[in-house]
Amino acid sequence: MSKQNDTLIEVRDLAVHFPVKTRKLFKTEVQMLRAVDGVSFDIKRGETVGLVGESGSGKTTVGRAILRAIDPTDGEVIFHRKKKGDIDLAHASEAELRKVRSKMNMAFPESGSGGIKVHNLAGDLLRAFRPEMSLVFQDPYSSLNPRMTVRDIIAEPLVASGKYKDREKIDARVREIAARCKLNLEHLRRFPHAFSGGQRQRICIARALVSKPKFVVCDESVSALDVSIQAEIVNLLKDLQEEMGVSFLFIAHDLSVVAQMSHRVAVLYVGKFVEYAPTEKLFFQPKHPYTHALLSAIPTADPDAGFEPIRLQGEIPNPLAAPSGCRFHTRCPFAKERCSAEVPEWREIAPEHFVACHYAEEFDFSRGKRS
Amino acid sequence: MSKMLSVENLSISFRTDEGVITPVQGVTFSVESGRTLGLVGESGSGKSISTKALMQLLPGSAVLGADSRMTYTDKSGKEIALGHMKHGSKELRRIRGGEIGMIFQEPMASFSPVYTIGNQMMEAIMLHRGLKKREAREYAIEMLNKVGISNAAARVDQYPHELSGGMRQRAMIALTLSAGPALLIADEPTTALDVTIQAQVLDLMRDLQRELGMGMIFITHDLGVIAQIADDVAVMYLGTIVERGPAKEVIRNPQHPYTQGLLDAIPSLDHLHDRLKPVPGDIPSPTARPKGCPFHTRCAQAISGTCDVQEPQETSPLPGRAVRCWLHETKSRSAA
Repeated sequence: MSKQNDTLIEVRDLAVHFPVKTRKLFKTEVQMLRAVDGVSFDIKRGETVGLVGESGSGKTTVGRAILRAIDPTDGEVIFHRKKKGDIDLAHASEAELRKVRSKMNMAFPESGSGGIKVHNLAGDLLRAFRPEMSLVFQDPYSSLNPRMTVRDIIAEPLVASGKYKDREKIDARVREIAARCKLNLEHLRRFPHAFSGGQRQRICIARALVSKPKFVVCDESVSALDVSIQAEIVNLLKDLQEEMGVSFLFIAHDLSVVAQMSHRVAVLYVGKFVEYAPTEKLFFQPKHPYTHALLSAIPTADPDAGFEPIRLQGEIPNPLAAPSGCRFHTRCPFAKERCSAEVPEWREIAPEHFVACHYAEEFDFSRGKRS
Repeated sequence: MSKMLSVENLSISFRTDEGVITPVQGVTFSVESGRTLGLVGESGSGKSISTKALMQLLPGSAVLGADSRMTYTDKSGKEIALGHMKHGSKELRRIRGGEIGMIFQEPMASFSPVYTIGNQMMEAIMLHRGLKKREAREYAIEMLNKVGISNAAARVDQYPHELSGGMRQRAMIALTLSAGPALLIADEPTTALDVTIQAQVLDLMRDLQRELGMGMIFITHDLGVIAQIADDVAVMYLGTIVERGPAKEVIRNPQHPYTQGLLDAIPSLDHLHDRLKPVPGDIPSPTARPKGCPFHTRCAQAISGTCDVQEPQETSPLPGRAVRCWLHETKSRSAA
C-alpha cells in the first residue's frame, strides 16, 4: 500500500479563532482568541494518535474542529476515502459533510462548569456526526440521555443516518456492537441510570462505533473512571481497533494512559504543537523541555522513581495574550533571549519526530526504562 | 510524634428506601502529628464518608455504629470524642476549622462566589485566631504569599471566579491553614488539576505540612499521588480497610489481592505494549454487599467455603503491616 493510501486524515495548518468581546465604557472591543493556531498532522488507517496538553491548551478544540463540530478559521482537514476520493472537511458544504460525518465519531468531557453536555447535543450534532466519524466523551453520566433506553441510545446514530429503515436490521446491528463492547444484551431495555460508570462508558463506545466509523475522537474518555475500570476500557478500545481497523484521536491529560493507547503522540501548548513523535520516542527521548516537564510531573506509584524532575513554575498563559516568540518561554527553565523574540520552526529532527524548539538538539532528556 | 486521632471500629449506616445500607464498616486507623495518612480506594469505597464523620458533616439519615470510637487529642492535649457533639455548639465550631481543617476536590464549590477571597479568609482568621479586622487582612495576605500566590495584596480582593483552578486550590489551602488546624483532611485536592499544577500543589502541601507539623489525611484514588505524599496508607474496599501500613512498603510489596490488583491496573510508561490488567468484575453495589470477605467476588485467589462465608479479621503478616485476608490468616495459623 502506498503511503497516500495509508493516510486517513490529513490536518494542514488548522486554526480555530474565537472572537471574544470585552466591553469598555463606550465601546466593545473584539479580540481574537487563538485557541488553535496552525496545527498540522496526519492520522493513518487503524492508528491511534494521542493528543496531550494542560487544560486550556486547545486539545478539545482540535478534536472538534476535525469533526467540524466547530468551524475551523483556517487550514485544511482532508479525509481520504478509498472509493469516493478525498474530501476537504474544512471547506466542505453541509450536504457533503452530512454524508461523511457518520463515518467519524466522539466519546465527552466532564462538564462541571458549563461544558458540553451530550444529551443536549443529541439532536443536531449527533445527527450530523453519523457514519464515518464519531465521538466518545469523558463523562458517561452527562453524555447519555436518561430518558432513552440503552438500545435506543446505541441505535440513534443508525436511525439518524436514515440508511437503516428496517427495525430488525437496526436491532441486529445494535446487538452485535453491544456484545462486542461486552454489554449484557438483557440490559438493552434498561435506562442509563441503572449502570455504573464503566458500563456507561461501554454504552458510549457502542454508540460511537455502531455506524462502523472510520475515525473516532475520544475526548478524555477514560479520565473520569477509576483506575481498574480505566484499564478495562483501554483494553476494550484497543481490541475494537484491531477488529474494526478504526482510527482514534485520543485526547487526554493523563500521559500514561495516552502512552498505552497511542502509536504516535502530539503535545499541545497554548494552541500550537510543541512536539509530535512515535510514542516510544516521545516518552523516552523527548526533545522539547515542555514534554519533559509534563513527563516529570506524573506521579508514579514507584517510590524510588529515578530521574531528575523539573518543576514548571506558574500556569499556562492566557491564549488571549499568548507570549511572543516561543509560547513556552515564560515557563521554560532553559529559555534564552532568542526564545522570546523568534517563533521556533516546526521541524523534523529525526524521522517522524517533529519538534518546535530552537535548541532541541542540545537537550538530552532521555530516560532509561525501568523493568 | 504523638497519636492525635484514633478511629476505632467506625461504622456508618444510612436509612434509605431500599433498607439500611452500611457504606463504612469497622474502619480502624490512626493519625500521628507530622505524618500523612493516605486513604485510597475506588469511588464508592467509603473514603470520603469516613472522614466526613470526623467533622460531623454527614446527612441526618446517617447512623454511627454503637461501638464506633473517634478520639481526637486537641492542641492542649485534651481528648475529645468526635461524632457526638451538639450541632451548633461552641465545641464543634472550635473543632471545625480551628483543630481539624478540610480541603475539598472542587475549590469553586467550596468558596462562596459572592465574597472576595480575602473576606472569606478573614472570617476564619477572626473566628479562630481572635485577630482584629486589619490584622486579619494582613494575615490573609501573608498566608496567600505562603502558598505561592503572586501579588497577594491584590489577589486578596478578588473573587474566586477570577482565579484559575490551580490558584483557587492554593487559596483554598491558604484559607484552611489560616485557621491554624492541627489536623488537615484533604479530600482529592489535586484530582481536578493538571499534572503540572498537581505536582506544584503536592510539593506545597508537603512543605507546609513539614513546616507546621500538622497531621494529614489525604484521600485519593491515585496510588501514584500516595507514593508522592503519604507516609502511611490505608486501602479501602467497600467500606472496609483491607490493607494498611507504611506507604512505601505497601506499594512495593502489597499483601492484599485488591491492593495488588489496583497497582497492576496502573498504566506504566515502562510497559508500553503490554495489555493493562484491570481488576476483574465490577464493584458491587452498596445495597448488595457480598457475604464474607467483600472482595471475594472479584478475587482470583478466593478460597471457596472460607472467603465467601466469613469475614476475615485483621492480621499482621509483616511488622507494621495489617491485612484483612483469609490467605494470610490461614498462613499465619498454619505457621503457629
